Amino acid sequence: MTGTTGSETRRDFLELATASAVAGSLTGIAAASAGQDLPQKPRKRIAIITTLWAYLRHGQHIGDRFLVGYPWEGDWHEPEVEVVSAFVAQRPTDADRRIREKEFGFPQGDLAPSRAREFGFTLHKTIAGALRCGGKQLAVDGVVIIAEHGEYPYNDKGQHLYPRAKFFAEVVDVFRRDGRAVPVFNDKHLSYSFEKARAMVATGQELGFPMLAGSSLPVTWRMPEMEVPYGARIEEALTISSGTSLDSAGFHALEAMQCLVERRRGGETGIRRVQAIEGPAVWQALEKKRWSHELMARALSRADLVEGITLIDARTQDLAAPGVLEKIVPKPQAVLIEYRDGLKATLLMLRGAIGNYTAAVRLDENDRILSTKFLLPPEPNVAYSACLAHHIERMIVSGVANYPVERTLLVSGLLEAAHDSRASGHRRLKTPHLDVNYRSPLASQYCRT
Amino acid sequence: MKRRRIAAIVTEYRRYSHAQHILDRYLFGYSWDGRHHVPDAELVSLYTDQRPKGELSRDRQKLVPSLTIYPTIAETLCRGGKTLDVDGVLLIGEHGDYPFNKKGQHLYPRYEFFQQIVEVFRRSGRSVPVFNDKHLSWKWDWAREMVETSRELDFPLLAGSSLPVTRRIPQIDMPLGSRVEEAMCVAVGGVDGYDIHALEAMQSMVERRRGGETGVDWIHAVRGTDAILKALDAGSFDRGGWDPALFRACLCRSHRLQPPRRGFNHTLPTTAELHGLLTDKDNSNTPVLYRYQHSDGLKMSMLLIEGIVHDFTFAARLTNQPRPLSLQMFLSPREICNFFNPLTNATEQLFRERRAPYPIERTLLTTGLTAAGIESLFRKQTLLKTPHLDIHYRPTKSSTYWRN
Repeated sequence: MTGTTGSETRRDFLELATASAVAGSLTGIAAASAGQDLPQKPRKRIAIITTLWAYLRHGQHIGDRFLVGYPWEGDWHEPEVEVVSAFVAQRPTDADRRIREKEFGFPQGDLAPSRAREFGFTLHKTIAGALRCGGKQLAVDGVVIIAEHGEYPYNDKGQHLYPRAKFFAEVVDVFRRDGRAVPVFNDKHLSYSFEKARAMVATGQELGFPMLAGSSLPVTWRMPEMEVPYGARIEEALTISSGTSLDSAGFHALEAMQCLVERRRGGETGIRRVQAIEGPAVWQALEKKRWSHELMARALSRADLVEGITLIDARTQDLAAPGVLEKIVPKPQAVLIEYRDGLKATLLMLRGAIGNYTAAVRLDENDRILSTKFLLPPEPNVAYSACLAHHIERMIVSGVANYPVERTLLVSGLLEAAHDSRASGHRRLKTPHLDVNYRSPLASQYCRT
Repeated sequence: MKRRRIAAIVTEYRRYSHAQHILDRYLFGYSWDGRHHVPDAELVSLYTDQRPKGELSRDRQKLVPSLTIYPTIAETLCRGGKTLDVDGVLLIGEHGDYPFNKKGQHLYPRYEFFQQIVEVFRRSGRSVPVFNDKHLSWKWDWAREMVETSRELDFPLLAGSSLPVTRRIPQIDMPLGSRVEEAMCVAVGGVDGYDIHALEAMQSMVERRRGGETGVDWIHAVRGTDAILKALDAGSFDRGGWDPALFRACLCRSHRLQPPRRGFNHTLPTTAELHGLLTDKDNSNTPVLYRYQHSDGLKMSMLLIEGIVHDFTFAARLTNQPRPLSLQMFLSPREICNFFNPLTNATEQLFRERRAPYPIERTLLTTGLTAAGIESLFRKQTLLKTPHLDIHYRPTKSSTYWRN
């Protein structure tokens, strides 16, 4: 299956060395673990294609999981994949390094070269080079694209123009030329452009390789554990984000909500209209009951990073009481979403009120409301990315994505539409292009073990 | 229906004191079952033993005029009258300027407050439920007396830490009737403050084992980097350490595991790296280990190891189970400290149902273990027999940790 590169012997040696290094780092803790044994069968070979491999950037904290392993089900999981090559587009800028040195208290820089040395993989100057491991043919079993962070421009709408579609195009160009395709993971939204994102998914279908994409939020722990019963009728959904960036935090929150609502009766059929509002218009919309006050109260109640009066004298506070949010959230934003099947959903961005991502869903069944918080364990461990790494690894090992890439496609388009609405004077935009149909998996995919 | 009226007897009501966390929840509500919940019991009277600069009791009284502050515990319970005039008592004797004894125990006046409370009960010929925050007392004899008094005067007594009732990751409990061979808690903090939290966390899990609780035979506490490194290298409980599989599981359940290597955000430390972290000159914390054995043979290790982790995790080896049962007892961040939500709710349940939602014997045992652990440290870290800890009880059938 794997293409030969003429350096098979060296690579075998490196595989052995890396496997031993990983195993050796674990045996000290528990002799009882299986960590001492070398894997029975050769591990799947992966290439990491990233914008930046710097401390606590996505490239590092997701990429490292495949080098050093990660916690899973109460044990330290040794990845069943092996990083054999990487392409890293940028190095941290001097300004960024200085800021982060202050933040973390130790020198910051490009970690890719030292990782490559220690873990025995090769850095390549091109994406094609990384995928072919310096040879002439595709020589990996999976590709992990992490194009988040780095110096990239913004467009007039405020979207960060990360080169995800470009990276992906270079990846599939290798697939096409070499007549073979392997699973691809894409971190966060597929692209800032729905058109590009849709083309990416179409290419995946055309070439028949599994694709997985998106945020950690759909797969991280929920507090409390909560899932929408499969096939439930949903009347309304609402999600709250503490972030201020519609492009970044908005994506996480919208995808977290999407993984709940996609389980509704009839499955996902797309989005009809999107409107983004901000500032006082948000409070006017609240007054006009553009979203359910009760759903908002339920979602707010799930927060455990609470701001407002709690920051002043530690008092607990009903954030949903009349007039409270207006006082403590200086720059509210909202995205109002109408799905094609009539479902109404809302994203509220309420920096100043809470510091969490939460959601609430009203089922059409005795008016039952479900709500939860998407747990984001703190830096430096950011343990949520272990949940994501698990699903990436499963796809590459099994060849099957645990959840549909169409979820991320729809959310990418929804996010672009929200930016369009904001840029066009907060108009309510029709989104006939967002006719994305898919079925969510029956089994829950979030972390419960 | 008339709201039940609650009196609070506290050491101090300042920002981040336990009294602030619990009483503010009575006054202003808290998140429960996905709603902002306001207790159906009303905090009507308050005694604050100390008033440090910037304390909040008078501010709270202004915000909630139905709350009255009295100068004595008796007046607080009688609300200015001659006999008991409340339906429940919150005794929160944590934080405040109180002396330490030579063993390092903080001499919070919980027993003394309790005595004044039951004096009112006796005088009034009537008793109401009492909640005591954290361990019952620093002194074992007093703790036992408190439980005996509650039985004599026939009032429900609830006590302990928020650790047993807080959220868990994952959301699991020890299956009732499990055969547990060895258990471990890896946590943070120091003796006579955080040991009780870790002991309560462990006890709330292992009390569900087959046969229920039968008490503890002995305890051996050690302190300091060298002692902990020796235990770390021992390789088993019988050789003076712990089952490495349990320690590993605890570290894997941590979400705040100290990275041993710069530039790596999350790795499982090797033994050599653990040695490095523990001997790091920047790590000024003193690690502590309490090892003890229940009379049915269950082996326990409580490790407070700041600088390695910054959270509370638990693991247990169950008979014939290939992997440990493990979890994290979740402590939400400061400011709001939502782990006080389930604890406050347990006190509400105590007052509403006039029945403790979980047995006081748990906290009696952990109080005894805390005192015995400190005693063991004080007696040059020797093993102490604990025949007095022959405490037998059965756990609640249903789980009592926060799931809604």
